[in-house]
Amino acid sequence: MHSHSVSSDDSRATVEQYVKWIQVLRKRGHTVDGIVLTEHRKFDFDKDYSDLAGQYDVLVLKGSELDTRYGHFLVYGVTQALTQAMDFSDVHMDARALMQAARRHDAIALPAHPGRFGIGLTDYIAQGESFDDVEIVELLNGGSRKGENERAEELCKSHNLLGIGGSDAHLTSHIATCMTDFKTPIKTENDLVEALLGKEFQPVWLKNVVNGAS
Amino acid sequence: MPYYDEIELGDEIGPVEKVATDEEVANFCDVWGAPKPNRFTDPDVAAKAGMPGTIVPGIMTMAMMAQLLTDWGGPGSIKDLDLVFRQPVPHNRPLTLAATITDLREEDGENLVECDILMTGTEGERYVGGKAIVVVAGR
Repeated sequence: MHSHSVSSDDSRATVEQYVKWIQVLRKRGHTVDGIVLTEHRKFDFDKDYSDLAGQYDVLVLKGSELDTRYGHFLVYGVTQALTQAMDFSDVHMDARALMQAARRHDAIALPAHPGRFGIGLTDYIAQGESFDDVEIVELLNGGSRKGENERAEELCKSHNLLGIGGSDAHLTSHIATCMTDFKTPIKTENDLVEALLGKEFQPVWLKNVVNGAS
Repeated sequence: MPYYDEIELGDEIGPVEKVATDEEVANFCDVWGAPKPNRFTDPDVAAKAGMPGTIVPGIMTMAMMAQLLTDWGGPGSIKDLDLVFRQPVPHNRPLTLAATITDLREEDGENLVECDILMTGTEGERYVGGKAIVVVAGR
């Protein structure tokens, strides 16, 4: 649900390396069905990973991770219309406007790593900001420091929010460290948005997913 | 030093724990010829640069990570080391260095081992991460 390929400036992993590494994880008994590429501050309309996805039997979906004045937000179901409505490169965009625009264009935006010290949604809420449209946050983030996922969990409990899991991988071997287990089958970005809106999912650690959930 | 056919995807190099002490950083800066004062050895310069304290020079960090690889693959074995510096690396704190082998391939007569390499802190800080290619011997 949250990964960066070399299309993001701070990643050193290619999509091919990610899907090949998933074969290693599968050999170790883990169930990993797919990944969502969430490149920083953009959406790669021109990139097509369907050949790789078919070759390695890994679903490869695309989303975005955008900088906002209230921290990073993951966006799923990105459309041309949404990218015309919101400037994805604007690092000072209002997260509330992004969430509303996303829903108007059949997408969904939610806070990434909300417990991150200094830049997570938790800190902005502590400063008095409110985010009425937030119903789901990234509860488990594979790149979190000690205490950050715990802060996200406290946020979920105190605000009655749901959580997803994402690896936030920037390196090959970090893919799938945290994942999201959906109850419904997902084949497309639209399926993913519908599944999130349906609220039937849970965050999972890779270490806890052996021949089970994905 | 391992032979190519002994290595498997997912094998780990390390982890190795290191500490970059004030003295080691000062010595490194002297050898390197870093202009003084600098944010690596002078707390006031570091504070003015917005750092919480003096930091380990990036080139020293890179040397520490390279050493992890050459201790494993042998002198001169590094073909490529591509790092992203994500956070300032502090002095006098435990640093964990580790690599994970992610690809094995033979290319132009060389046995190439590609790996992710990471320097982390005790609180899960990911200071420096990246990718390396090491050449190892066949039998």
